[in-house]
Amino acid sequence: MKEYILLMISAALVNNVILARFLGLCSFMGVTTRIDTAVGMGLATTFVITVSSMVDWAVEDFLLLPYGLGYLRTVTFILVIAATVQFTEMIVRKVSPPLFEMLGIYLPLITTNCAVLGVALLLVEGKMNFIGATLFAFASSVGYSLVMVMFAGLRERMALADIPRLFAGPPIGFIVASMLALAFMGFSGMSTS
Amino acid sequence: MDKFADSATDFGAPPMVEGIAQVVAVEGNMVWLVPESGSSCGGCASAAACGSKGIGTVASRLEARRFQLVNDAGLRIGERVVVGIRQNTLLKASITAYAIPLATLLAAGALAQWAAGSDTITMIAMLAGLALGLGLARLGAGRLLVRGELAPRFIRRASPGETCNS
Repeated sequence: MKEYILLMISAALVNNVILARFLGLCSFMGVTTRIDTAVGMGLATTFVITVSSMVDWAVEDFLLLPYGLGYLRTVTFILVIAATVQFTEMIVRKVSPPLFEMLGIYLPLITTNCAVLGVALLLVEGKMNFIGATLFAFASSVGYSLVMVMFAGLRERMALADIPRLFAGPPIGFIVASMLALAFMGFSGMSTS
Repeated sequence: MDKFADSATDFGAPPMVEGIAQVVAVEGNMVWLVPESGSSCGGCASAAACGSKGIGTVASRLEARRFQLVNDAGLRIGERVVVGIRQNTLLKASITAYAIPLATLLAAGALAQWAAGSDTITMIAMLAGLALGLGLARLGAGRLLVRGELAPRFIRRASPGETCNS
């Protein structure tokens, strides 16, 4: 139990997908202008990363490893991610068409989010069991969503601040992102003893 | 004066998430609208180089997201309007669609791992948990729909040149 909790804390905070591994930076800068879009994108990404990682683990363990097809890993995982996004889109549309109208816009953006592929490749590298891999993927995506929402909150405040014209927009965004990354580096000093 | 104009200047009203849509059909007292192209990261400085922009903006995808509104404002085909939903509705919708299935999936997986400790059984349990979660999400979405929370509201007519990023 303890190892799973440590795994999740490590994936969400210490090795944060955005601020420590620098994955998913396009959506990090693009969809964080408002908190509501950041929450929508974060939850959709959490769902897709968790489900696609489960499928990726199964494909890796039952297909790629036994048949020595490791060289097809990246291509296969991209296919699995695209299929998962399509599946999620179909399910959300089936479960509730109004929900699809409201949230459907975030789903296609996830297909090209490198954080999804990055997490899948990392869990293969980690050689975890199924529940460990799923919890790792879930915690990584929770860390992604957390940073997205935090950054969106900061950007909403920055929109009201008097920022010099030279730094307005993306420049101050990147400066704040680097300060957030520095703050998250503090988690790497955590001790488990 | 547009009787809906006041809602845009009512600062006591709950915050809305706004978007621009175009009227494509009028049926009696109802209008069909299609959201205007422009993905949620269309305003990104690197939008031209970002592969995700084109995916969410193809006409067929927008057509699939067309929705209906009551035509109290006398809208005509081709008019551009600003529509909105409450900010907390978006959060509720996201939780209903994604958080509930994820919670049941993880709970079922944890339970199966604790009880059986086998990867295959955990996998099957997680699939069952996901199916259960999707069923619960459907119930939750139905409840939101009955309360009318998922329906976008007409806010005002869009001014010429106004975009969702402006």
